[in-house]
Amino acid sequence: MNPAVYMDYAATTPVDPRVAAAMAQSLSAEGEFGNPASSHGYGDAASARVEAARAQVAQCVGALPQEVVWTSGATESDNLAIFGVAHYYREQGRHIVTARTEHKAVLDPCRELERRGWRVTYLTPDGGGVVSPAEVAAALQEDTVLVSLMHVNNETGVVQDIAAIAAVCARHGARLHVDAAQSVGKIPVDFAALGPDLLSLSAHKVYGPKGVGALLVSRHGRGPNVQLSALQFGGGQERGLRAGTVPTHQVVGMGAAFELARTAPPAEALRVAQMRERLWQGLAALGGTHRNGDALRSVPHVLNVSFEGVEGESLLAAVRPRLAVSTGSACTSALQQPSYVLRALGRDEVLSESSLRFGLGRFTRDQDIDAALDVVTQAVARLRRLSGA
Amino acid sequence: MNYSDLTLRYFETAAGAGILTGSDVYRGAAGSRASGTWVQFDLEVRAGGILAARFLAFGCPHTIAAASWIVEHAAGPIARAALRESVESLSARFDVPVDKRGRLLIIEDAWTAGLRQAGLQA
Repeated sequence: MNPAVYMDYAATTPVDPRVAAAMAQSLSAEGEFGNPASSHGYGDAASARVEAARAQVAQCVGALPQEVVWTSGATESDNLAIFGVAHYYREQGRHIVTARTEHKAVLDPCRELERRGWRVTYLTPDGGGVVSPAEVAAALQEDTVLVSLMHVNNETGVVQDIAAIAAVCARHGARLHVDAAQSVGKIPVDFAALGPDLLSLSAHKVYGPKGVGALLVSRHGRGPNVQLSALQFGGGQERGLRAGTVPTHQVVGMGAAFELARTAPPAEALRVAQMRERLWQGLAALGGTHRNGDALRSVPHVLNVSFEGVEGESLLAAVRPRLAVSTGSACTSALQQPSYVLRALGRDEVLSESSLRFGLGRFTRDQDIDAALDVVTQAVARLRRLSGA
Repeated sequence: MNYSDLTLRYFETAAGAGILTGSDVYRGAAGSRASGTWVQFDLEVRAGGILAARFLAFGCPHTIAAASWIVEHAAGPIARAALRESVESLSARFDVPVDKRGRLLIIEDAWTAGLRQAGLQA
């Protein structure tokens, strides 16, 4: 048993025991282990579980079951959306709009497309991390084929106004892709009401298993009907958009996780938000602390704080034995780099590196907040003393 | 980032952290907080020897651990060596990744600046 308090729910979540139980039923000979594409009873049984899961996911996010395309996770969904649209519409245009604060699963495909001759506009959000619809509108060009913006930022928890941005894109005729990996289960997500053409989902951020996700491909008929070029071939599964045997147990797990998210009591979000605010108040009392991202537009489970007078890597090392959190810096090599998300919000390099992201979740309790406050308070005080701050 | 047991021990205890005062105390510093690494040494020097040393550091665990080790082993007569142990040896002792070895040079610069203040090194 790891003695550290887990407060990194924005990175991943443990599989809910009810989800694990549902998955187990599709693994063994007694359950629906068949290939869902097989034309016999075993295949039919597995296929029924797959379609039930598809309906669960769709219902959770206000989509139609036929809009759900299974993938291996949000990264694959992002890649399929970006490369799929770029390739399909390459004769119409080669311009894409995204933001500097997007996840690498969006930024890296965009950079790859730049290497292949596409043009990409990277929007800079305001100091709170918000990308305005007006800024999106101003970036659209005649040959813009895709706008890709995340619903909830993975580092700051800031929520974008997707409905307004979708309206801007629809008026222009550009397709909108949204990475919603961080929003499902935390805030209401309604694919039809929000209005994007494509929406990426992940299971493991919502107490489901790793290795499965989905891309929602709009069939609502809003604006131009979005089309995608497939990225992998070999069986024609998922309407030809994602070849490969559908992993029944994985999608059953995702379906169960999304069903639990859909039926979670409304008080749960309030409970998490109250714990998050107590954590922030305790950290703010240290002085020299900066909350990153617009607190009024943030999901309840994320808190990102920079600490003056401490070095980021040492801060993380100091808390690590007792607290599992993420640092704002990205360990791309032996040298830690300041968070590009926080840099885009205007934080200087030192504060961008000396940040911690606290991710609260379903199993976080009040005593975990007490423990986190104790650990971080001690670490910050000690490191400030060491540096003479 | 994983650290060696020795690095973690010196980082967590940070023995020798602080400042010294008095007429026999000389101070050297190098680096900057803005660049991510800053180190300061206070050396209490008498009769050509170091009686005590303390450090302050804003930096990564390797930086803090190495500075702590240096002041722990600082006392004794000066043989005009910049450090009791070379940057290369310190790097090996604390398993410092190649990309971070520049931070040990900052430590060396701070130490050398202190010795220079004390007139122990040109």
